Amino acid sequence: MELLDIIKEDTVFLGLEAANREECVAAMLAGMEKAGLVKDAAAYLNALNEREAKGTTAIGFGVAIPHGKSDGMAAPGLAFAQLKTSIDWNSLDGSPVQLVFMIGVPMEAAGDEHIKILIALSRKLIHADFREKLLAVQSKQELFQVLQGI
Amino acid sequence: MKKILAVTACPTGIAHTYMAAEALTQAAAQKNVEIKVETRGAVGVENALTAEDIAGAHAIIIAAETEVEESRFAGRAVLKVAIGEAIKDPGKVIDAAMNMETVKVQNMEPGTNNKEAQKKQVTGPYKHLMTGVSYMLPIVVAGGLLIAVSFIFGIEAFKEQGTLAEALMTIGGGTAFALMVPILAGFISFSIAEKPGLAPGLIGGMLASKIGAGFLGGIIAGFLAGYVVQFMKENIKLPKNFAGLVPILIIPFIGSAIVGLLMIYVIGTPVKMIMDGLSAWLTNLGTANAAFLGLILGAMMAFDMGGPVNKAAYTFAIGLLGTGFYGPIAAVMAAGMTPPLGLWLATLIAPKKFSVEEREAGKAAGVLGISFITEGAIPFAASDPFRVIPSIMVGSAVTGALSMALGATLKAPHGGIFVLLIPNAVGNLGMYVISLVIGTVVTALLLSVVKKNKTTA
Repeated sequence: MELLDIIKEDTVFLGLEAANREECVAAMLAGMEKAGLVKDAAAYLNALNEREAKGTTAIGFGVAIPHGKSDGMAAPGLAFAQLKTSIDWNSLDGSPVQLVFMIGVPMEAAGDEHIKILIALSRKLIHADFREKLLAVQSKQELFQVLQGI
Repeated sequence: MKKILAVTACPTGIAHTYMAAEALTQAAAQKNVEIKVETRGAVGVENALTAEDIAGAHAIIIAAETEVEESRFAGRAVLKVAIGEAIKDPGKVIDAAMNMETVKVQNMEPGTNNKEAQKKQVTGPYKHLMTGVSYMLPIVVAGGLLIAVSFIFGIEAFKEQGTLAEALMTIGGGTAFALMVPILAGFISFSIAEKPGLAPGLIGGMLASKIGAGFLGGIIAGFLAGYVVQFMKENIKLPKNFAGLVPILIIPFIGSAIVGLLMIYVIGTPVKMIMDGLSAWLTNLGTANAAFLGLILGAMMAFDMGGPVNKAAYTFAIGLLGTGFYGPIAAVMAAGMTPPLGLWLATLIAPKKFSVEEREAGKAAGVLGISFITEGAIPFAASDPFRVIPSIMVGSAVTGALSMALGATLKAPHGGIFVLLIPNAVGNLGMYVISLVIGTVVTALLLSVVKKNKTTA
């Protein structure tokens, strides 16, 4: 599984306007539903919130990676949002969040696959040039180019 | 070039473990520092540090909020930082690690003249043994000295209920000495298998005491428990949801059961056979050849100090004391005094052969020796059994033989030097003291020849 296999046109949000975490997640979830990735939105949202309650997924540098394993997902899916204005996400380094990768995986989905994607993404996100590229992308095609090979 | 190692780990093991690894790698590359980062995350341990890596590292950075098996870095320069710090400011962390003093652990080939470096690099079973001994040592000193103080009130004083002498005997003999072998076994096992090893080790050690296997049985129990637990740690793989049960339920329960059953059935049976066999043999030997009997009894006393061989000799002599033969018990007591006395003398005449800790313990061993508390020699014997046990056996055998040959007798079962002061308790007192002194000197001389240099400090 590659990152590009699970991100769809409908799950990419460039210049998304959201006032807070809840709004941001709701918009991204709607995109996932539209792409046909979600069976039960409430169940998946529940998984996301549960994970968030265990510890913030805002990993610093203006990036958040909300994720959840749930039977509410029909297939593994990834959504990306580049926010117009950064929002507070209780991040580890205190910085507000402007880039969001949201990941959902069905319970029965093959073992560690989605974790490996998260790991690869986390490793990439530490590099300032990768983050800058994400902040600078103007179109979905550009984003897919940046994400290629992860 | 200086090489830095790092270990990263976080409780969820998804983002931070890898971000920290990436951040440190990136910062190191910028500074032209060679680095290897082990990640311990949700997909297990990756890029694991090898013993070779660790041996060649300038310093090791631990950026973790969970257990990372730190014991493998013992003796190395270790820098611990919060994982967030490694992510936020990896450059500073690398600099701090580079500026650390490397703890020198030299890999000298045997045969080079740097004995110091060789000695410090204590590894494997010997290291585990030393760990066990160093935890046991203060218990032996405490117990032995308390018993000795109890003897000051008279060698039989502790038999009077409610007396201070009885209390001291309960603290020293009944309690401290009862802990001695369990602690030895427990910490040998702890050294091998870390925390999960402690419980099966302590239990195995207690069983070694109970079945009369003495400190040698305790050493067996410790290694048994340590390696059993280590094997279980490495080989029991459960689904993640149940993995938490391994250290708190499965290892304590199954590990202790395995060690305990082995101690009772595999170690316990031969121990009993040795005791019974030796007792029968001693009875057949009789008292015809006095010097030879003394020699055998003496060597037996020193062999396992509280184990089956020692007990067979002591019980045999006590039995004869009851029937009016006072020679063997004299030989046995003298032979039980020379091991700690000889060690005490050896720490004085050959201090280089002993660690600082042992040299201090030597003074206590002297007091225990004059009190006929043979256990004072156990820490020395346990830490270097193949050199110490033969040396003290020869010394004790010489003492035992001399005591018998010179016709010394004793009408008390215990008491050490205190009993020498009681009129008529010892027959042929002068000869008895000579036997003791010669045995002590023989023991000390042998030890100072046989033992290897410890430190140059």
